[in-house]
Amino acid sequence: MKTTQIVEALLFASDAPLTAADLARGDEGLDEEQVEAAIEELRSDYEATERAFQLYEIAGGYQILTRPELAPYLERFDTVPQNPRLSVPALEVLAVIAYRQPIGRAEVEEIRGVGSSGVLRTLLDRGLVEVVGRGEGLGRPLLYGTTRRFLEHFGFRSLDDLPRPEDLPIVLRSRSTSTGTSTGTSTGTSTGTETSMSTETSTDG
Amino acid sequence: MEGPIDDGAFMVELDRFQGPLDLLLHLIREQDIDIFDIPISKITAQFLAAISGVETLGLDRAGEFLELAATLVRIKAQMLLPRPGDLDGELEDPRAELVRRLLEYEHFREVAHRLEEGEAERVRHFGRGFVPPRAAPGPEVVSLELTWEELWAAALLIGERARLPADHHVAARAVPLEDKLQLIRQALTRVPRVTFRTLVAPFGDRLHAVVTLMAGLELSRRRWTSLRQQKPFTELWFYRREGPEEAAAAAVGGVVEPVAHAEQAVDAEGGDRASKGGAE
Repeated sequence: MKTTQIVEALLFASDAPLTAADLARGDEGLDEEQVEAAIEELRSDYEATERAFQLYEIAGGYQILTRPELAPYLERFDTVPQNPRLSVPALEVLAVIAYRQPIGRAEVEEIRGVGSSGVLRTLLDRGLVEVVGRGEGLGRPLLYGTTRRFLEHFGFRSLDDLPRPEDLPIVLRSRSTSTGTSTGTSTGTSTGTETSMSTETSTDG
Repeated sequence: MEGPIDDGAFMVELDRFQGPLDLLLHLIREQDIDIFDIPISKITAQFLAAISGVETLGLDRAGEFLELAATLVRIKAQMLLPRPGDLDGELEDPRAELVRRLLEYEHFREVAHRLEEGEAERVRHFGRGFVPPRAAPGPEVVSLELTWEELWAAALLIGERARLPADHHVAARAVPLEDKLQLIRQALTRVPRVTFRTLVAPFGDRLHAVVTLMAGLELSRRRWTSLRQQKPFTELWFYRREGPEEAAAAAVGGVVEPVAHAEQAVDAEGGDRASKGGAE
């Protein structure tokens, strides 16, 4: 069997992204380098032959998905599972957790100014966030972080795909008009491993 | 710097807002107010006017709006107080903490908006997924018309049917109607009645079910069997009809070694499937 065929078969049959390491387990003597070469071959093959689907990099892996132009045709069928959309409060809580993880519920609520326990419960149930540890302090509060499922939901390759603070126009504009006190950047409560995430827009007074 | 307060201009529906910070940001951005120099008296008045209907939101949400209202009033008071000793501007502006919170919230509100856009793009790509089963009709209470043996046989079949096919052949395989005619006849020479399920179970294939039903209808048309079902979606029974045609039908040859024939049919089917599986 050709490597491209093995890789294609695994990706075709999977309903979630598979990493190069996952795919390399498909056959003895297969390594990640060969897998990635096969991925590239398949990608250009799909492109050249105008297939209805394409290879996408999601959550650190690869997944075969239909092209977006075909969405109108697929959306007509109620038998094709529709991807569920999140509510605005859910998106807000996810946004805070994604940038500040690991983070406790109280801090999420402090940032949003509203109670968030119900929303948080929903996100936990849907596997978009998970408990990643316990914080210091009174009662050792649960700390939350985003999951692989979170990346899959938004089609992100990794957390690096999150919009960067400097890409957000509103806050930048506000800061540029600021004078004096707002020069410091606060790392706040963020002790996450994603160092790129910890550049905050908040201003230290 | 503080203009007249127009109460009517900022009548807003609180439901539209995620919370008090969202509302306050709306008031500030809507009027192009410099967030680092908020006219606190004006904004406080507008905020209080906007949340006048807050009691309809329920205690928890109302509390959140009222808490920020209290903060605004407190800041307003602090702004009015003289700040002796603040000669070189070292003392913090009473608004600073609020501004920090507003900017932080605004940042995440924007991120949430970007996430929503990412989601909207993602849902336009479809992956492989299972087809959700159609809503099944609710369970119906049917009075049993069964012997214990039949019930036992049916119970044994449950395990049989629950096994899912390991693979899925799209290509249609021919199932001759004659085979099924013979199968029904053979079965009904041994017992006076038989369920559709019993006839179909060994094959575990929809096409066999379809052809078996056709065969049943055909035999019913020839007045060789009668089909009975108490209610829709309940067990379908094939009954032997005692009649002049029975002898004629028997003469066709279906009566000879019925069991052996039935096994043959199953074997042929199994062999067919095996060879097909091997070829693929």
